Amino acid sequence: MCTSTHRHSLHCILPPYILSQIAENGSPEMRAMAMRSLLIDPTIRLVRASTAGPVAGAIARRRAAAGNILTPSPLRTIRDAGGEPEAPGVTVVRREGDGPTGDIAADEAYDGLGATFALFWEAYQRNSIDDAGLPLDATVHYDQDYDNAFWDGTQMVFGDGDGELFNRFTISLDVIGHELTHGVTEKEAGLAYFNQSGALNESISDVFGSLVKQRLLDQTADQADWLIGARLLTAKVNGIALRSMKAPGTAYDDPVLGKDPQPGHMIDFVRTNQDNGGVHINSGIPNRAFYLAATAIGGNAWDRAGQIWYNALLDPNTRANTDFAGFARVTIDVAGRLYGSGSASATAVTKAWSAVGVI
Amino acid sequence: MQTGKACDETVTGEARVRIEGGLAHFPGLAKEQTVSFDDLAIPQRQELASLAHLADFFNCTPGIDPTRPDARTYTVGLTIDGRSREIRVAEPIRDPAMAKLVSVVRRLSKQYAAVRECGGAR
Repeated sequence: MCTSTHRHSLHCILPPYILSQIAENGSPEMRAMAMRSLLIDPTIRLVRASTAGPVAGAIARRRAAAGNILTPSPLRTIRDAGGEPEAPGVTVVRREGDGPTGDIAADEAYDGLGATFALFWEAYQRNSIDDAGLPLDATVHYDQDYDNAFWDGTQMVFGDGDGELFNRFTISLDVIGHELTHGVTEKEAGLAYFNQSGALNESISDVFGSLVKQRLLDQTADQADWLIGARLLTAKVNGIALRSMKAPGTAYDDPVLGKDPQPGHMIDFVRTNQDNGGVHINSGIPNRAFYLAATAIGGNAWDRAGQIWYNALLDPNTRANTDFAGFARVTIDVAGRLYGSGSASATAVTKAWSAVGVI
Repeated sequence: MQTGKACDETVTGEARVRIEGGLAHFPGLAKEQTVSFDDLAIPQRQELASLAHLADFFNCTPGIDPTRPDARTYTVGLTIDGRSREIRVAEPIRDPAMAKLVSVVRRLSKQYAAVRECGGAR
C-alpha cells in the first residue's frame, strides 16, 4: 500500500514490466524515476529470497514437536459472468468447501485452481500465487462466443468458446494452471510481457500448467503428452492442441486458424510486432528446452526439472528483462546449486538449452 | 439511452475489428474483420449506434493499461453516418459500455465474415 512515507507512486504500485516500458518510452523525468525503481527492485527481491522459505530453528522444532504444522489450503471463489463481458462476474456460484454446482465450467475452474494450488504447495512449498495465501478467484462464462482465457491481475477469466473452433476454456487443466502461473510470475520475476522476456513469461506458464496436469495424472516425463490446451479445439479443427512443448509448430494446421507458428530452435526465432513481439510464438523455444531437460532427467517432471525452473523464477538474477540466454544461465546455475554442477541434472539442463540453440 | 440518429433505422456505416493477443496466437484469426451496416438487420445497426453513443466512442480517451498476460487487444473502428474513428483497447475493459460495444462488434464482424466467406458454413 502507498503510505505518506513513500516518495513516488512508481515505487509502490507499478510492476517491473510497466517500469521497463516507462524507462524506455516515458518523459525524461519519468524515465529517471522508473530507472531508479528498477534498480531498487532486484535488491528487494534479493532480500526477499534470502529471508523466504519455511520457518526454521527453535520455533519450527517446537511446532513439529507439538504436531502443530500448519498446512495451507486454497481459498477459492468462482463467479459467473452470465455471458456478459464483466469480470468479476456478478454471481458467486461456488466458494471454498462448497460441493459441485453441476455447472461444468464452474466446477472445472474450482478443481483446476485446487490442482494448481496443490502443485505449488506440495512440490515447491509455495502458498498460493503470492506465497502468502492469496485467495484464488475465477470468473467463468465471460462474454458470448468468447474464445479466450486470461489473467487480469487479480483473477482468472474464462470464456465458453464459440463451439465452432473452441470448446470452453476450462476444459484443459493445463490452461487453468497456465493462467494462475502468470500470477506467480507477476509476483516474482515480473517478466516483461513482450519480446523474449514475454515469451519466457508464457513458457513458464506452459511449464507449470503442464506440470499441474502431469502431477494430477501421475505421469512421468516420458508418459506425458506435453500438450497445452488438448481438448480445447473442437473436432472441426485440424489440430490437437494450442501448443506442443515436445514438438513446437505441430499442434495445428487448419484452414481457418492457420498453421501453428511456434519455433523449437533459435534458428527459427520469429521477429514480429504481433502478439506483443511473438510471446505465444517464440515460447516454443524455452518450452522445448524444458521438455528436453525433464525427459533427460527422467521421473516426474515436477520434481527435479520443475524445482530447477521454479527456483530460477525466484532467483534474483531473473529480472523483468531477462531473455532466453539469461534464464538459461540461471537454470544451469540453480541446477548446479541444487544437485551439483557436474550432476546429471545440471548436465541435462545445459544440454537442453544447447539443443534449442539458446546457448 | 438512444438519441438522435442512433434510433434512426437509416443509420449507415461499418464496424471493423482486429484482435491481437490471447491465450495463443492463431495466424488465421489475426486479420481485420469488417461488417457493413448494409449487411446488418435494423436492430443490429441500432444496437451498434446506441452502444457507440453510450461508450462515447467518438470522443472518449482510451485507457493505456498495460497488456495483461493472455489478454487481448482490440483495434476497433467505427464509421457511423460519416463520423469515423479507430481506437485500441486492451482487456480487461473496465468501462461496461465499451466492453459491450467491443463484444458486439467482435461477434457481428465474425458472424458476417463467415457468411461472406463460406455462406455461414465452415
